[in-house]
Amino acid sequence: MTTRIALGSFVMMLLLALPAHAGGKGELQQYFNNAANKVKATVNPSEKRDILNQSMQTMSKALVMVQGSTSISKDDAVGIDLFIAALQEKQDELAGTNGYVRVPDEQLNAFSNYVVQDMEQADQIITISLITLLLIIILIVLLVR
Amino acid sequence: MRDPHSRSVRSAPYSMLFVSVRCAALTLLLSACSADIPVQREAQPAEQGVYAASYSIVCVIHGDGDYLYHDTSGNEYKADEEALAGAKRVALQNPDAEVFIFHQKPRRHLLFLFPLHDGDFYYYRNGRLLANESYWRDQEQSHFDPEVALYRRFRAENHRETVSLFLYYGHEIPEFGGAGYDASYPDRPFTVQDFAGGLQGFTRDSARVDLMVLSTCFGSTPYTIGALGSFARYIIASPENLHLSYFDLHSLERLDLSLRDGDVSGFAKRFAHQAFERLTRDIQTSVSVAVYDVDRVQEFLQSVHSVYDHTLTTFKGETQPSMATIEHCDCADIPAYVLPTMNKGVDVFYRSARFGRSKLKQNHSGWECWRERGLHAATSQTTEPVLK
Repeated sequence: MTTRIALGSFVMMLLLALPAHAGGKGELQQYFNNAANKVKATVNPSEKRDILNQSMQTMSKALVMVQGSTSISKDDAVGIDLFIAALQEKQDELAGTNGYVRVPDEQLNAFSNYVVQDMEQADQIITISLITLLLIIILIVLLVR
Repeated sequence: MRDPHSRSVRSAPYSMLFVSVRCAALTLLLSACSADIPVQREAQPAEQGVYAASYSIVCVIHGDGDYLYHDTSGNEYKADEEALAGAKRVALQNPDAEVFIFHQKPRRHLLFLFPLHDGDFYYYRNGRLLANESYWRDQEQSHFDPEVALYRRFRAENHRETVSLFLYYGHEIPEFGGAGYDASYPDRPFTVQDFAGGLQGFTRDSARVDLMVLSTCFGSTPYTIGALGSFARYIIASPENLHLSYFDLHSLERLDLSLRDGDVSGFAKRFAHQAFERLTRDIQTSVSVAVYDVDRVQEFLQSVHSVYDHTLTTFKGETQPSMATIEHCDCADIPAYVLPTMNKGVDVFYRSARFGRSKLKQNHSGWECWRERGLHAATSQTTEPVLK
């Protein structure tokens, strides 16, 4: 039994070390990059919109769930707020709501690159702690399934 | 009769000694397994084919963070490693230069126990790699002490006129706070002041390098340029976000040809223009690259010093200054900064983001400031996009 616990602990340490190695942010960037790849591989503009919209909605949902947790710090809550706001802006632009002109069909591939690049340099992600990022990643995995 | 415990008590120090020796041997063995085996411990300037250098380049790459980016085909790149590869290429392509490359890596442990070196140093002269060592980064304050020590150990002692360049690749260097900048040492703050303090060690007798390239986000604030201006004649920086593909380094190859005339000002503008062209090719977010003639921007910096200082003091004084209450903006959006001297000594290459609220912004002053969130509409003087 003790051996099992020790082995289990070791495996858990390895699993935790993997996202820690990437800083936790790599997985979020990869998530948007995967969505962009799907958009570019799709011909139909309405399907492209669906992919983009769905990816951002899923991320927002995960962020709201994490924000509801009592265990996150104030700094993380602020980072998540900004992250949600940035995603909402992009969703608005995609749909042409809240003062935005709708992203034209022929620019959807470029828009998917914009989402990836904006997230890569987003300072709001940088301020979110590793533990909270891991929580977000886990929730996204669960929500996508 | 012998006390049964006395043997174990007496043997305890021997056991500890035995364990210590085994640990030391294991550590040595593990260290020997490190992939970072020095190519050459000492530079040999006197060896055949190694001459004095006309150009000196110091490149510090902060790779201790999440530096991933994707190209438009979805391929993933580690930004710091791409920058490192670029710096090595520059070093190999410069027969008349000495190049110091410091790659600051994340702190890692072997088997969760044995710390590994968190810095790699490369020294090239005349296009040849003369030294490659792993080193320990600062454990306490962030003043580049280990890097400066290596620089002083290897730099060429020649009397030829040398054009000096300093390049820094990393995240935005904070103007205040600074905790968490270094992912491996999150409690150790790193600010513009720390950065400037570290620069002193790299400036030789002339006190200022000829050109500093600050390849970070938001490097063009009056405070940052003012603080770093004490150590450089010209500075290239980005006022806004700089995508992690960073500034293109190709312009630094063959300095013996591109900088033969010694015109650092002209060279800086060509470098900035090429970096701008490279970024705008693939990047959908905003791209801004600016060149500062440090002597010529002093008048503007002195004019806005008190205003900017007041802003920083206010934010520093807040119990919890955070990105929730403040944000970056073009200084031209704040009336106090719109002065006749604002554009003097600054060359700006700017293209707005292809999407988002600022996609119709036509130009950038080259100076980045802070404002409270929500004051955007009230203070904006630039042509804001009419989105519909």
